Amino acid sequence: MKLKIEAAGQLTSGIRKFTLAPVDGAVLPRAGAGSHVVLEIPGPNRVWKNAYSITSAADALAYEIMVRRVEKSRGGSAWLHEHAKVGDVLEVYPPQNLFAPQRKAKRHLLLSAGIGITPFLSYLKLPGLAYEMHHCCKPEDETAFRTLLPSGPEATLHTSRNTLNLEALLKRQKLDTHLSVCGPESFMDVVLATAAHVGWPAAKVHKESFGGATGGEPFVAHLKRSGVKVNVGREESLLDAMEAAGLTPPCLCRGGACGECKLTVLDGVPAHHDHYLSETERAANNAIMICVSRAKTPELVLDF
Amino acid sequence: MSKNRPVYEPFALEPSGRAHLVVTSLDAPPEGIEDSFDNIEVWTVKHNGPGVPVLAAGGVRPFRSTTELLAQLGHRLGRETAGLRFYAIGSEAFIWDAYNIGIVAGLHPSEISLHRAGPLVRRVYCSHCRTMIEGVPVNIVSCPSCEAALFVRDHFSRRLAAFMGVKVDAEVPGEIPAAEVFTS
Amino acid sequence: MKLSLKPQETFRDDYTFSNSDEAILRFPFPFPEDSYMYSVNMEPHVRGGASPVYNAMFDIDEHYVGDMADRAITLDQDPLRCQVLPHMETAEWDTLELLMENLANDYPEHFSLTKNDDEWHWINRPLDIDQKFTFGREETLPFGPFEYITRQVQGDFSLQDQRDNNLYMDGGMVTSQADWSLNFDVGMSFHEWHGPVPLAHESGVFDRALQYLLRMQCGKPVRRLNWTMTANPRLDTSPENYPLWGPEKAAITPENVGHRMCLRVELQTLYRLPRSNAILFSIRGYLIRLEELAKVKKWAVRMHRVIRDLHPRIAEYKGLPRYRQYVVDYFAPHDDGRVLNAGIGPEQDGI
Repeated sequence: MKLKIEAAGQLTSGIRKFTLAPVDGAVLPRAGAGSHVVLEIPGPNRVWKNAYSITSAADALAYEIMVRRVEKSRGGSAWLHEHAKVGDVLEVYPPQNLFAPQRKAKRHLLLSAGIGITPFLSYLKLPGLAYEMHHCCKPEDETAFRTLLPSGPEATLHTSRNTLNLEALLKRQKLDTHLSVCGPESFMDVVLATAAHVGWPAAKVHKESFGGATGGEPFVAHLKRSGVKVNVGREESLLDAMEAAGLTPPCLCRGGACGECKLTVLDGVPAHHDHYLSETERAANNAIMICVSRAKTPELVLDF
Repeated sequence: MSKNRPVYEPFALEPSGRAHLVVTSLDAPPEGIEDSFDNIEVWTVKHNGPGVPVLAAGGVRPFRSTTELLAQLGHRLGRETAGLRFYAIGSEAFIWDAYNIGIVAGLHPSEISLHRAGPLVRRVYCSHCRTMIEGVPVNIVSCPSCEAALFVRDHFSRRLAAFMGVKVDAEVPGEIPAAEVFTS
Repeated sequence: MKLSLKPQETFRDDYTFSNSDEAILRFPFPFPEDSYMYSVNMEPHVRGGASPVYNAMFDIDEHYVGDMADRAITLDQDPLRCQVLPHMETAEWDTLELLMENLANDYPEHFSLTKNDDEWHWINRPLDIDQKFTFGREETLPFGPFEYITRQVQGDFSLQDQRDNNLYMDGGMVTSQADWSLNFDVGMSFHEWHGPVPLAHESGVFDRALQYLLRMQCGKPVRRLNWTMTANPRLDTSPENYPLWGPEKAAITPENVGHRMCLRVELQTLYRLPRSNAILFSIRGYLIRLEELAKVKKWAVRMHRVIRDLHPRIAEYKGLPRYRQYVVDYFAPHDDGRVLNAGIGPEQDGI
């Protein structure tokens, strides 16, 4: 869908906020707490696809996102910081949710650092959520983050590692609490390790992680019986590429589960991402589910 | 083979826990567990035991009945904090009743371990009148309330802590096969 | 979408239910081949496709009024046929929005929805309902939001919460089930509630289906067909009321099998819900008497072959053994040995 940058503004020196609204006044797909959108960002040689957490409420009329400028990046975040301006129209994929709150939990402990605050901003908009939140940021960003958090005792800002006693915090949580964490990998690693150390089971701890994309390194699929070579790009599946080339391979679920699109591999090594093939079948390297799987070798020869 | 009949592992304490609460419908816990960890408490049932279930030396607290034990369990778990591991040992009905109290208190299934002890009997839920029938040793049982002869399906509800019982002769009244004793 | 509704039919007692010729031809016949085995036969649920019942996101047909009246009777007798666990409240509102929007979009002559922020106005003309309410405020509706809307949409529904890399059936409206109980199954994980199904666990069907559903995305619903057989066009074949419908199975004879016996097909569709991230599962049942089915040559021939060759454990799970031979014998004269095309369409324009 096409969304227009309706507003843009600097939150901190390294974080920029955007409001994305429908071009034609259409109603946006609902984005539940924890959802993200993928933006297509035009680059000089290629299109970048970056995922950003939606910080606005599910029924908002526009999506709000925050973009951290990735250091030394010449990619999507640099473009959004340097070139994007109000009125620009971007291609945006409908929201998906890989970090939904655990609704069975009666209380939520939310721990974030830096840009990791973003998914929790949508959590905080849930009516009646019982939570305790701790956010860590650099001292110079404190004022900016303060504006994002409620003023009550449930949210605390930390500008120094010393003020957040992680072990004590995790030890005093009630049994009905779920822990969610988002931030730099090093931050999440420390939180997860401390939680495990004081006896939290893995199932009560969640960290934000983007994944599930079908893309990967480009490769060539040589379809022997059809006598066709298909280039599979970074952002498309083998199935999509074959269909774009006018072929009609078998398929049904397009999600790696049903087994319908299984093809025989004659040469090359597949990178399996499906849920259909058994470990033995994967190891044999002679079959591939073309809807989600890719190649470890520059070329795959398939019996099709 | 049904895929939802519970499978019980041998009893073992979880070293990942910071504290351990073991409840059992038996009058004694597995031997030696009081000494295995520092932070361990054991609840037992002693039918002709002392009057008040106080915590005795060695962290053992005897209750007068399983009903009394279960009645106090929710309150006890309500003031617990993260890191607790919870264990229930006893009849299948008892351990799943304890499990459900643990779930309501906020425990995750991975923080609970259940161990069946005693005779191979099942609690059966009558689908037709919702009566719970305790201690059923065979796969056909008469419902004491609605008098239906129930076939015990190999289908277990953790929420009800019971197997499903459905009228065995609903199609042709009186056509009741011989009952089989549960072997697992 | 043009749709004419029958006046009220009954699905119990005198069983006045019948299919018009149009309803027979649009029946979602579940067998694309001459044999049947469990598989992950899921495909994207997009409007259109192999059967006319795919033309709407939620199919409403000529039996709508009687169907909903039968559900009301069942709920009156046993309110626990609709249960939703407390943490699914957001999913209830998601369901209400999804159903109202799609019905109003697919059948504007029968349903309409007007929104003014959170102030909504819902009109259901066939059931003579005109309801103004506030979205998100349960007290402005006569029932909880999930029960309110599923009392007005054909088919059973269940709500799945996603957690621990699994799905839990944490709510449902189940009044026309093939011998399973919501009150017994509510709260179960995906593998637990499928526990009684034979053969499919061993072949990994449920493992693959679960992995697929966990990754299901908003706006990309999926569907599959499932089937069983029912003595008489009865919607409420619940374990609770087995003493009522069990004797009707035993009363099937070679003489009455064509009229009383029904093929029961479930169009199962699944939707990721946007606010709650839960999954709504719609189990939309279709009934057809064997004598109605026999009016379509291809289906009569294929029915003979599928039921004749069905794996005994599947036949047992679906409750068929008592009358399976009668069904085979009923369709045998139709099977002239012809080769049938793959696919489920009737391949004839009229009856």
